[in-house]
Amino acid sequence: MADKAILYDATKCTACRGCQVACKQWNDLPAVETTNRGTYENPPDLSADTWLKMKFTEVGSPPDLRWVFTRRACMHCTDAGCVEVCPTGALYHNDLGFVGYDRSKCSGCGYCVEACPFDVPRYSGNVITGVREANKCTLCQDRITSGYEPACVKTCPPGALKYGDRSTLLAEAKQRVADLGGKATLYGEKEVGGTHVLYVLDDEPSVYGLPKDPKVSGAVTAWQDILQPVGWGIAAVTVLGLGLNYVIAKRKIKVESEGK
Amino acid sequence: MATAESKSKSTPLASSLFGPPPAPGEEVVERYSRPVRILHWVNALAWIVLFVTGWFFFVDQFGPAASGGISGVLHRIAAVVMVGWAVLYFLGSPKAAIKGMLEALKWGKDDIGWLKAAVPYYFFGQDEKMPPQEHMNTGQKLWWLMTLAFGALMIVTGAIMWFGSPTAILGILHDVGFIALFSFAMVHIFLSLHPKMSGVFWSMWSGTVSAKYAESHHKKWYDKIKK
Repeated sequence: MADKAILYDATKCTACRGCQVACKQWNDLPAVETTNRGTYENPPDLSADTWLKMKFTEVGSPPDLRWVFTRRACMHCTDAGCVEVCPTGALYHNDLGFVGYDRSKCSGCGYCVEACPFDVPRYSGNVITGVREANKCTLCQDRITSGYEPACVKTCPPGALKYGDRSTLLAEAKQRVADLGGKATLYGEKEVGGTHVLYVLDDEPSVYGLPKDPKVSGAVTAWQDILQPVGWGIAAVTVLGLGLNYVIAKRKIKVESEGK
Repeated sequence: MATAESKSKSTPLASSLFGPPPAPGEEVVERYSRPVRILHWVNALAWIVLFVTGWFFFVDQFGPAASGGISGVLHRIAAVVMVGWAVLYFLGSPKAAIKGMLEALKWGKDDIGWLKAAVPYYFFGQDEKMPPQEHMNTGQKLWWLMTLAFGALMIVTGAIMWFGSPTAILGILHDVGFIALFSFAMVHIFLSLHPKMSGVFWSMWSGTVSAKYAESHHKKWYDKIKK
């Protein structure tokens, strides 16, 4: 099946935050109580109850002040660090290319929170018992697998969010970047194997608070793909060695004591 | 010198696995005090729980067994029991605890001799080249040192992952400790089944070992306590 994606065009976004509300509404997430921090950006951060939020950044100073908006939510990476570390398979790659999440399988270990290069997953729960549950955007897996677009896309008034085949959106995004010219950038085409949320930006990704070259850390790869198989090898060699020792010792030592 | 109690505490299965316990009337010496034995078995139980629940995260195929977080809770409980009991033991008999730890640090030429003689000894039962051993033989010292070193690593990395953040580096260190401790624990358990060590299991079960065993396996220690 063709990979699906969301295209977010920051140059069309008005930061109305309708997507934030639609996300909460569809996914049945409660509001988070916050205090006025002197900004329209609210809530201050992603949380287990906030899977999508708009980030507001002031760039430069008057009279050249610019206000730029970024969509903060799961990027649905092709080489996803969270899927790599998830021990239970709660996080997985869906046929449609996005990173799906099966909450019933989550163990609350929190590895995904540490492995994500975009600092997206969050967990809620009890620190002492360790009974926790991670949460993040699922690209509205229940909607899109039924043929609907994600809730955030559905609601977006200026059409800054689009949902469709990744290849189609990619071509569209490239055209848009070319039309914008200047510093306009396409983000997500190749980053971490290609994300399933594509960004059209009017400036460098760093201006929008996006990492220039996001990567799943080498430690994550070494841990999951090297150390754990090596561990199995060592355990197997140990067991085989002991078995060999037992077989030989059982014969030799019995013979000896009989000879005495 | 004490003699074994007349009642045999073994079962046919245990005797065939570990070798028979000291026979009634056989001369025995005390090897492990009751607090040490309780510490050992509490630890053993905690380790089994820790190993099994840790396994779920180590092998992808077992992963779903950790879903819901029950295994994580058991892992934490076992860790607290393991550390807590060791602390209690230490507070209860600090002298014995320190003496036990220092025992593993004393190395001499007979330990080098043990390392050289170990393979023919444990494979073929050749004891001619095996030098006389202390209360702890070299292998036991190694095991004890590994347990202390990797145990500390597990406790420190585990605590940071528990109360802080489970980063990949901590995961790697915790897994290295797991691989090392698991492999050594296999050897440790296996040696209680080894034909050369027949009957040694009972020293950790009922506290005594036959004088014959003590003399043949721990000559230096046996000579000391016999004085």
